[in-house]
Amino acid sequence: MELLIQVAVNGILVGGLYAVMALGLALVWGVLNIVNLAHGSFIMLGAYCSWYLFQYLHVDPFLGLPITAAVMFVLGYALQRGLLNLIVRAPMFNTLLLTFGLDVVLTYLAQLAFSADYRTINPAYAGHQWHWGTAVFPMVRTGAFAIALALTLGMWLFLLHTRLGRAIRATAQNLVAARLHGVELRHLYALTFAIGIALAGAAGGLYGSVSQINPYIGASLTLKSFAIAIIGGLDNPLGVLVGGLFLGVVEALTTLYIGPTFVDVASFGILTLVLIVRPTGLLGRTA
Amino acid sequence: MKAWQGAVAAIVLLLLAGVPWYGSAVLVQFGINALLLAVLAQGWNIIGGFTGYASFGNSVFYGLGSYGVAIAMVQWHLPFAAGLAFGAALAVVFALLLGVPVLRLRGHYFAIATLALAGVMAAIVSNIPLAGQNIGLVLPPLNDDRLFYGLALGLLVISTLVVYWLTRSRFGFGLIAIRENEDGAAVMGVNTTLYKVLAFTLSGVLSALAGGIHAYWITFLDPESAFDISLNIKMIIMAVFGGAGTVLGPIIGALSLSAISELLSSQVTSVATLFFGLVVIAAVVLMPHGLMDLAQRVRTRSLRWNYLGENVRANRL
Repeated sequence: MELLIQVAVNGILVGGLYAVMALGLALVWGVLNIVNLAHGSFIMLGAYCSWYLFQYLHVDPFLGLPITAAVMFVLGYALQRGLLNLIVRAPMFNTLLLTFGLDVVLTYLAQLAFSADYRTINPAYAGHQWHWGTAVFPMVRTGAFAIALALTLGMWLFLLHTRLGRAIRATAQNLVAARLHGVELRHLYALTFAIGIALAGAAGGLYGSVSQINPYIGASLTLKSFAIAIIGGLDNPLGVLVGGLFLGVVEALTTLYIGPTFVDVASFGILTLVLIVRPTGLLGRTA
Repeated sequence: MKAWQGAVAAIVLLLLAGVPWYGSAVLVQFGINALLLAVLAQGWNIIGGFTGYASFGNSVFYGLGSYGVAIAMVQWHLPFAAGLAFGAALAVVFALLLGVPVLRLRGHYFAIATLALAGVMAAIVSNIPLAGQNIGLVLPPLNDDRLFYGLALGLLVISTLVVYWLTRSRFGFGLIAIRENEDGAAVMGVNTTLYKVLAFTLSGVLSALAGGIHAYWITFLDPESAFDISLNIKMIIMAVFGGAGTVLGPIIGALSLSAISELLSSQVTSVATLFFGLVVIAAVVLMPHGLMDLAQRVRTRSLRWNYLGENVRANRL
C-alpha cells in the first residue's frame, strides 16, 4: 500500500509536467489546426536552453524558465511568420509533412550543436526531499509540479479573460468571423504558435531538471503530448491537465506492475485505443 | 500506354537490370538500397497517394517483413522464400487486425495513430524472446549482391505494375474516389472500409517484402533499425517529391533523392538526414505537387515562370 501511494505520488508529479508539455501542442492544434510533429523537438530545445543557462551562467533552472520561454517564444514567432504561415491553407497532410521535416532538421542540428551525450540539470538542492506521511516528495519534482500547475491555470485564465486570449479563442471558433472583427491573422497565428512553443520550452526546462536529456528525446515526447491532448481535448487547458495526470499515473503503475520497458507501449497503446474508441477525445471537444 | 512509352520503359528496365554486369560493386549496393526505398515509396503511394490516407506507420510493415525473414531463417531454419512469405503474412495480419479500427480515423487522427503504432512496435518487439529481444538476430550471410539487386528490381517492377493497374481498374478508381471525397464514394456504392483495408494490406505486403530482402542482404537486424521511424519520412518524401498518386513519381523521387543524398554523404557523413529534412520543407512549401506535375506542365506548355511562387501563394495565409 505504501509503495502504491508513493507510485501514485510520483505519477501525479510527473503528470503535471506532462500537462505543460501537451498544453502548447493542444493550443496550436486547436487554434491553428496544425498538428505539430516537431513539438517534442521544441521541448528538447527548451531543455538545452535551460541546461546552458545553468551550466555556463549558473542560472537556477526554475529562475531560468522565463528566459527559456522568452527565447522559445521568439523562435516560435519567427517560424510561424516565416515558414508555417506559408502552408496554413494547404491540405492537412502538407502541414504534417512540413513539421515532420522540421523535426528531423531540429534533431539533427541539436545533435550537431549539443552532441549526443546525456545531460542533466543538477542544482545543489537536487537530492532534497520532503516527507508527508509515508510518502516522499522530491523537492525538484514537486517544484516542477507546482510550476506546471501554475502555468496550466495561468493559461486557462489567459484564454478566458484577456483580449488576446479571446482573439485566439475566436479564431479557433470561426476564422472568417474573427477576421471580420479585426483580428490580424498572420500576427495572431504567429503569436499563438509562439505561445505554444514558449510553453514547450518551459516544459523542456522542467523536464531537464527531473530527467536526463539528449537530442533524441523529442519523438517520444511528441507522441506523449498527443496522447495527453487527445485524452484531454483541445479546447480547455484544464482537460489537458487531467490528461497529463492520467498518463503520468498510468505510466508509473506500468513501471511498477509490468516493467519499465513497457512504459512507452502503455502510453502509445492508450493513445491508439482512445483514438479508436473515441476519436473526439475523452473530455470535451477535439478539433 | 502508347507504343513508344512501352519501348522507353523496356529500355530503362534493361539498363537498370544490367547494372550488376557493367556497374561497380559500390553502384550495385547503392542500387539495392535505392530500389528498396523506391518499393517503399511505391507501397506508400497506394495508401497515401491513391487513397489519401497519410500513413506515418508503413515502417511497421517493413520491420515485420524483416523480422519475418529473420525469425524464419534463424529460429526455424527455413529457406529465405519461406521467410519472405512469413513476413508478408505478418504484414497481412497486422493490416487486417489494426487496419480496420485505425482506418476509421480520418485526417490528423489516422496519421497520429499510425505514428504511434510505429513508435510502439520497437518497444514491443524488444520484449519478445523469439525475435531476439534487444540484441536482435544475425542471419546466415549470403554474399551475392547480384541476386539481391535482381530481387529488389523485380519487386519494384511488381509494385509498379500493381500501381499501374490501380490507374485503370475499378479498384483503383474506388481508391481515388475515397481520396477525393470519402462520403461521396460511399454514396456511389464504393465499399470504403473494404477498399481502404485492401489498399493498406497491399501497401503493407510490398513494404514487408522490401524489408525481408533488406534483412537478408544486411544479415543483421535489431528493433531500433528494423522499426526506424525515420524510414517513414524517407518513403513519404520520395513519393511526394516525385508526385504522389502517379505511377512513376515515387520511383523518380526515390532514385533522384537517393542519388543526391548518396553524393552528399560521400562529402560529409551523416548529412543525409538533414538533407531529407530540408527537402521535405522546401518541397512542401514550393512544390507540393511533385516532379510529375512539373513534367506535366512542361509537356502541356502550361509551365509559368513563377510556378514556385504560385504554389506558395495558393497555400499561404
